[in-house]
Amino acid sequence: MMTYTEQIEDSMFDKLEESEKDTEFIAMESKTYLKDAWDCFKKNRLALAGLIFLLFMVVLAVMVPVLSPYTYDSQNLDVRNALPSMAHPLGTDKLGRDILVRLMFGARISLMVGFVAAFLNLIIGVVYGGVSGFMGGKTDMVMMRIIDCIYSIPSMLYVILIMMVFGSNIGSVLLGICVSSWIGMARQVRTQVQTLKQQEFALAAYVIGAGKLRILFKHLIINCMGPIIVSTTLMVPEAIFTESFLAFIGIGISLPQASWGTLASEARSVIQSYPLQIVWPVLAICLTVLSLNFIGDGLGEALDPKNR
Amino acid sequence: MALLDVTNLSVDFQTDQGVVHAVRDISFQVGESEVVGIVGESGSGKSVTMYSVMGLLASNGDIKEGSVTFDGTEITRKAFPNQKAYEAAMSRIRGNDMSMIFQDPMTFLNPVIKIGKQVTEVIKNHNKISDAQAKEQAVSLMGQVGIPSPEQRFGQYPHEFSGGMRQRIIIAMALANNPKLIIADEPTTALDVTIQAQVLDLIKEMKEKLNSSVIMITHDLGVVASLCDRIIIMYGGKIVESGRAREIFYEPRHPYTMGLLRCVHNPEKKEKLMPIPGSPPDLLKPPAGCPFVDRCSKAMKICKVQMPKETVYSETHVCACWLEEAERRKGERHV
Amino acid sequence: MSDKVLLSVEHVKTYFDVTKGPFSRKQIVKAVDDVSFTIKEGETYGLVGESGCGKSTLGRTLVQIYRATEGRICYKGRDISTLTQNDRKEFTREVQMIFQDPYASLNPRMTVGEIIKEPMEIHKILSTSREREERAAELLKTVGLKPDHIRRYPHEFSGGQRQRISIARTLALNPKFIICDEPISALDVSIQAQIINLLKEIQENMGISYLFVAHDLSMVNYISHRIGVMYLGHLVEEGDADEVYENPIHPYTKALLSAVPIPDPDKAREKKRIQLKGELPTPLNPPSGCPFKGRCPIATEACEETRPELKDYKGHKAACFRIQT
Repeated sequence: MMTYTEQIEDSMFDKLEESEKDTEFIAMESKTYLKDAWDCFKKNRLALAGLIFLLFMVVLAVMVPVLSPYTYDSQNLDVRNALPSMAHPLGTDKLGRDILVRLMFGARISLMVGFVAAFLNLIIGVVYGGVSGFMGGKTDMVMMRIIDCIYSIPSMLYVILIMMVFGSNIGSVLLGICVSSWIGMARQVRTQVQTLKQQEFALAAYVIGAGKLRILFKHLIINCMGPIIVSTTLMVPEAIFTESFLAFIGIGISLPQASWGTLASEARSVIQSYPLQIVWPVLAICLTVLSLNFIGDGLGEALDPKNR
Repeated sequence: MALLDVTNLSVDFQTDQGVVHAVRDISFQVGESEVVGIVGESGSGKSVTMYSVMGLLASNGDIKEGSVTFDGTEITRKAFPNQKAYEAAMSRIRGNDMSMIFQDPMTFLNPVIKIGKQVTEVIKNHNKISDAQAKEQAVSLMGQVGIPSPEQRFGQYPHEFSGGMRQRIIIAMALANNPKLIIADEPTTALDVTIQAQVLDLIKEMKEKLNSSVIMITHDLGVVASLCDRIIIMYGGKIVESGRAREIFYEPRHPYTMGLLRCVHNPEKKEKLMPIPGSPPDLLKPPAGCPFVDRCSKAMKICKVQMPKETVYSETHVCACWLEEAERRKGERHV
Repeated sequence: MSDKVLLSVEHVKTYFDVTKGPFSRKQIVKAVDDVSFTIKEGETYGLVGESGCGKSTLGRTLVQIYRATEGRICYKGRDISTLTQNDRKEFTREVQMIFQDPYASLNPRMTVGEIIKEPMEIHKILSTSREREERAAELLKTVGLKPDHIRRYPHEFSGGQRQRISIARTLALNPKFIICDEPISALDVSIQAQIINLLKEIQENMGISYLFVAHDLSMVNYISHRIGVMYLGHLVEEGDADEVYENPIHPYTKALLSAVPIPDPDKAREKKRIQLKGELPTPLNPPSGCPFKGRCPIATEACEETRPELKDYKGHKAACFRIQT
């Protein structure tokens, strides 16, 4: 009886050609950073739900003039303080304006303030922190002391002063929010850049003759993009909160335009008789902030280099 | 009976790229007071093997098949009714009978606790003795592993120790309870040559004193040459050759072992280095046949498709390579 | 190899001020303390020593990652600290560096192709992106990788493969001189030989000079023409590779050599090691006298007082008072 080995044909013992060998074989599927991060993000249900909710809000806010028969300031004194009905899904306010429509117009302002403020913070913080961390030495010292000075004055004070000088419009709200809130970002980027610039790939870039700007942006900043994106995302709800708070205490955007804060403030005056009216803007703020936080968490996980 | 007996062990890791077959069907034994070297490059499965023996696999790793018996007792998860019982038993074994020396001592030492306290803890965890006695033992242990003025060093923090000194502390902690088996995972890779020589001598000396068995995991054949009785060569998650030190060094049978020997610069012989071309196989998709086929200069068609069976050269020397069969057939044809 | 001197290092000192805060005592780390040597065209100079001896700092000083505190570094006869903007560009094109840690020396966000093309973009070598891409693929082949790896990211490769990508990046500039900063110490033995042979091959084909920094004397001996041994910021012995390796005269070199593990069980068991006491002292405020005196088996009182200078002893130099001639 033949053993298993005996059954193998002699020809199998011929030399294996070099071309048949598979050296330097990599089985791993090649994925770009973004694809990889997206795959990871998708697995986080809460973050995905947050993203969908946020997109839904954005679409509604953009499309509202097309979808709705009312405008944010069209009054109808016949239906003041109406409860939710077919004509007004969320009811009307004390001047008979449709709450849903006002809420969606409010979303425009609130979301815009949130995103624009976060974006400005991102740009200022990354550039300032990046330069400070990268240059080091005296430049870094001076830049950091400037930050300390700005930080030593309460941010509310800036906002109120700016509103007084420039009047209450979106621009001055944004300016007020941005004056001091980029500092956190700048500090974070600075620390990251300081660590990364000691890494061998940064030294390698220096040795091949790369200029300072190239090293800073192409090698250092791009490698701390993960935490930067996460904190930018988390900065959006912060800005929305600040804006709502300002509007609520009455120094925000002027009527009849309305952000969610203004809506809440208006509803406060009728809270005794129509408590439902304050629920809507508060709910909108809560859900948006919550979903942004979930997105931030999901991004934090997806962009964390340790998960690779 | 062997102290440690590993049979048909396979270990898989779940990753988002797929399943990595880190260790594939390996068997070996370690006898009482024997020093065994496991040699292989990174990704060969040598560390994973020892981590699964010690029950220290990462959470995404899993022993798929096989058994590990230590001192006559089965110590894989399947031998225990639940995870808790398994972990309790393993933690007892790791403290008393089996201990490990790691490549990077700082992963094992707590940076905010004084060295002396950490050594004393290990002693006290497993012996019921008073604080004073434990401290006395710890100081004498530190002296034994060559820490100068141990009383003074007792109250210092890990960062005040150099790399070599930290490794000595790790060795002291590993030896604290006279273990039957010491597993050293690349204990000298992070050290300079002069310190490496000191640490290797220390391991040898302590081994003789305690009469323990030692498993030495390394990628450097030079390190095992002077220390080990027996050597196991691993490649691509498989054992490709094993034998007594002299058998491996003077009569290597597997092309990988030969290749390894040729790429260590031997100062005694002035030869050109002959590197092994290519890179180790990707264990996401391990080759169907011999794992070394793509880098082997003597590869044959059969190597690509089927894992060779083991050829026994002596009681201790075993090698898994198709070349032996090819030689036999060539011989037959000539007859 | 020609006799033309490519790089000369003259009494270079690299100190770091590590004083903490303005009110503490001044603390200086003398990482490199008065080192001189020369490297000829097409030559490999091996620099050996334990971690903390200043060999990597010296390597980094040569490419101006660190500035020399004192002394002169001349490349092709010109002091590199006084180069004009244009000459400096030329210098960075000709003098390149390979780093120790293959896991840290490649930007994880760039593809292999982008990594290899970057130096060409900076120095405007080749005009179109297409040509650079082709050149990058060619370089990958030179270092033994496949051209279709060009779109992959560094983390998909093994340590040895990454080190070869690093080499391809430096070769993109056709350099004349490469500083290899422990390029093999993080790699497996079988891969170390690959990298060493690749470097040797490149030298033969392109006539490049190397400064090869490592702690493994036997590998350094294999690749180098001349060897310098460093201890605590000082050069303690220097000479032809085989001279230093076969007849070391400084007690530190002797100890270093005897500590190299031999891959041969019989010989390894017979071999007598010179055991060094203790470990490398810190270069923070180092003691006067011979740097090695604390660990030296043959130190005398004379070693306490003054630091020995490098002196010629039949073909190779050593800094020790106890050498009999």
